Amino acid sequence: MSVTTYPITPALPVRATTISRILKGEWTKLRTLPSTWRTAAFAFIFSIGAGAVLVISQANGWASMTPSQRASFDATSCSLFGIMIAAVLLGSLALRSVTAEYASGMIRSTFTAMPARRLVLAGKAAVVAAFAFPVALVSNFVAFEIGQRIFAGKHLQVTLGHPGVLGAIVFGAVAVSLIAVTGVGLGGVIRHTAGATAAMAVVIVGGVTFGQLLPAGLRGYLPGTALQAAVTVHRSPGILAPGTAIVVLGVYAAITLAAASIRAAHRDA
Amino acid sequence: MIEAQLLTKRYGKTVAVNGASFAVQPGRVTGFLGPNGAGKSTTMRMILGLDTPSSGEVRVNGKPYAQLADPLRSVGALLDAKAVVGSRSAANHLKWLADSNAIDRRRVSEVLDIVGLSDVAGKRLSTFSLGMSQRLGIAAALIGDPETVMFDEPINGLDPDGILWIRNLMKSLASEGRTVFLSSHLMSEMAQTADHLLVIGRGRIIADASTDEFVNRNSVPGVRVRAVQQGELANALTQRGALVEMAPDGSMVVTGLDAAAVGGAASAHGITLIELAPQVSSLEEAFFDLTRDETDYRAGQLAGSTKGN
Repeated sequence: MSVTTYPITPALPVRATTISRILKGEWTKLRTLPSTWRTAAFAFIFSIGAGAVLVISQANGWASMTPSQRASFDATSCSLFGIMIAAVLLGSLALRSVTAEYASGMIRSTFTAMPARRLVLAGKAAVVAAFAFPVALVSNFVAFEIGQRIFAGKHLQVTLGHPGVLGAIVFGAVAVSLIAVTGVGLGGVIRHTAGATAAMAVVIVGGVTFGQLLPAGLRGYLPGTALQAAVTVHRSPGILAPGTAIVVLGVYAAITLAAASIRAAHRDA
Repeated sequence: MIEAQLLTKRYGKTVAVNGASFAVQPGRVTGFLGPNGAGKSTTMRMILGLDTPSSGEVRVNGKPYAQLADPLRSVGALLDAKAVVGSRSAANHLKWLADSNAIDRRRVSEVLDIVGLSDVAGKRLSTFSLGMSQRLGIAAALIGDPETVMFDEPINGLDPDGILWIRNLMKSLASEGRTVFLSSHLMSEMAQTADHLLVIGRGRIIADASTDEFVNRNSVPGVRVRAVQQGELANALTQRGALVEMAPDGSMVVTGLDAAAVGGAASAHGITLIELAPQVSSLEEAFFDLTRDETDYRAGQLAGSTKGN
């Protein structure tokens, strides 16, 4: 068989350019879906709203609290309570960025345009994490400010300058980004939107509910409790330090993403 | 240029593609023809690196697909026009493809123009008809101005205008020196579009020839004739070197002599003809004959059905 040679575009140093193109392509995909912006708006509104609701009930209930309840009161984590909702919504957005492509079959166009499948999944994770971070960060700041103004009525407020407060706000946003990466991983492993969304809900909320069945020492390492730990300033025993909580969430993200990568690379698309 | 060497794909015990070796050359339209389930789509997925061959290999423009830098600039493919996320607009679908291969965004409006979708560039893909989706799929395939294009059943869902448009587009792409590879299960369609045919049946390549050659080789001209004195006519024709076959309806199909020669023979022997008609077996029949033994699923003959004459 005769092999004809064709002038090929000069080979560029593959890896760096491949990564930057994957990031560009995946970012264009994410921002051109109307549901991306809708989800970001919902995450913003509902997480701020949920925080405000908890803050109001705590402020109103302050008078009837026991001394021990007062001692463990955390004005920061209270106002940032809505981070759970932001995590669920942005985590679902992240998993849909994978499952929507498997459901429609568009994943074949993706892998045809970008054959480096592992890098594609990593790129999706990076893009969605980068998108979730500012959404969660701004939500946290706004929720914190609103919460503290309500608490100020009872002289319970803290300020950004208090030790650990700024950290809680930033770590909380990092935690949401890592949950989004976990969402990409779950989406890649499960590949069905409904199934992956259910798994996501169990990961975040299940830690708080079913987690009560676990010994206290283990409970802190569940994703949902680690997420709450990231925004906690007054720690009770068994609650991880924010930095540790971020590491734990990072491990979950890495494991699910690795599983998704293996599944994508070793299967026919 | 697409080159396959002993390309094989097994799914468990099923062999979808069985030792296929072929080369799809630039500058012409190559039709990939075979019944449904013959292995066309599997072959195309292996060419694009979506499915891993069980054995053998396939190269595009000299390289395995996964090693192409910016693959959309080398190969454009349309596999399944409906495999898009429906809430994205047509232009945005093309934009992410462009961005992922560092293709200038201006190319998006160019290809939308080529396929005639400029007016609906901002519409959600879920509102697209199959025909519009096919056009978008073709736009996506052309986005990187690739040297090789590949389309799986591109005329499905298109109206006659659309079919004509595709046919002309394929020919013009080939005339620009590109490699054009398109699959179909319709022989008649391929005969009008393809310069070269690659016929696949049950995963095996069973013909690799120019369309003209394939047609000439596979469509034998014959003459259908019926006479009052059938036996005498059969003898007379056989003596003149013709091949005579009895058809189930009582007529005879003669090959090796044209209608005039058959009529001449009849009159020389004083035989009265009832019917005399030249016929060419259609290309569709030729294709059917060729793939009959290779077709996995086909309608079995109705058991016990006996037709009276």
